[in-house]
Amino acid sequence: MNTLLKFNWQGLIKAAFPLRTLSLFPKLQLKEIQEVQEGKSLIIKGVNVPSGREPFLLETENELCPICSSGLEVKHTDVLIISQFVRSDGCMLPRRVTGLCRRQQKRMSILVAMAQKAGLMPNLTPATSKKDPKKRFGWKRYNKYFDESTIKIR
Amino acid sequence: MAALKRVQQWATFARVWHIFDASWQNPFESAQVLKKYLMGLYKPIYHPMNECGDHVIVINSADIALPGDEWVKRVYFHHTGYPGGASWTLAWDLHKKDPTLVLKKAVYNSMDGNLQRRYTMERLHIFPDSKVPGALMKNVSNQIRQIRPMPKRLDEYTEKEVKEFPKIIDLPKDYILR
Ligand SMILES: [Zn+2]
Repeated sequence: MNTLLKFNWQGLIKAAFPLRTLSLFPKLQLKEIQEVQEGKSLIIKGVNVPSGREPFLLETENELCPICSSGLEVKHTDVLIISQFVRSDGCMLPRRVTGLCRRQQKRMSILVAMAQKAGLMPNLTPATSKKDPKKRFGWKRYNKYFDESTIKIR
Repeated sequence: MAALKRVQQWATFARVWHIFDASWQNPFESAQVLKKYLMGLYKPIYHPMNECGDHVIVINSADIALPGDEWVKRVYFHHTGYPGGASWTLAWDLHKKDPTLVLKKAVYNSMDGNLQRRYTMERLHIFPDSKVPGALMKNVSNQIRQIRPMPKRLDEYTEKEVKEFPKIIDLPKDYILR
C-alpha cells in the first residue's frame, strides 16, 4: 500500500534531466604543479596525476562521513591514518577536501596537532622545519604523549 | 617432585635481575611497576622485615615520555638550608641536567619513607641509553613488560607500507596537490 502511494520522484528527475554523456570541459583530474628548469626558461605546468589511493579505499556502507561509517576510534599514534588528512607541509586539509562531518573534522585536526607535537610525523613538516624532533627548542625536544579522552567536542 | 620443589626454593630465595626499557614510558606509571620488583612485593615470602627485593636495570631513561605539557608543569623543589636557598626546577630542566633523575625520583617517591628505602634504591640501576656494563647485563634473566606501546614514527614505515595501508578518503578530482 505504502509503495503504491509513494511518488516516484527519482524516476521523474531522471526523465527530466537525462545523464549527459557529452562533456564540454576537459575531465577533472587530480593535478600536481611541477617546475622544470630547461636552460634559461622555467616551465611551470600542472600535470594530471593519479592519487594512488583508489585500490586501497575502504568501502562505506552508509551515508555517514568516512570516519563515522568505518567506526574507527583513531588515536594520535595511528600516523598511517592521520597522515591521509594532511598536506605535505603537515597542515590539516579543509573540510571540503576531507569530506568529514563537523565533529570528526574537529577531532581529526586535534589528532593531527597531537601527532605533530609528539613528533610522530617529522617528514610531513614545513620546508623550514628542522625535521628531527630531538632538535626542537627547550622542553619540546622531549618525548610526550597525549590522552584522547581530553578531546572535548560537542 | 622433590627436584621441582628444590628449584622453586632456589627461585624464591634468589635475587633475580630484571631489565626494563623506559623509552616512551611514563616514569610515574613505571615506578609503580618497578617498586614491586625492587621490594619483592610479588614474592610469596614477602614481609616488610624480610629483605627479598630484586635488582632492576632500567635502560633508555633519556627517552621517557610525559603526558601533554607536564614537562613544564611538574616542578622539583630544593632548599639548600640557607636563607633564600629555595629553588624550583622544571621537569625538563632536571631531565636536561641528568636524564636519569626524573625516573629515579619517581621510584624513590613511590615507596614509603622507611629505613629500607635507601637500600632498596641501591638495587635500581638506571642508564640513560641502552649501554649497560657487561658485568650487570650477564645477570639479567627477566624482562619487565612495557606499560604503553612505543609509537612508530611515520618516517620509520617503508614507502610501500604507507602506500598500501587502507585509505579512508580519496582526494577530490578538482584538488591541486601540495
Ligand atoms: Zn561523521
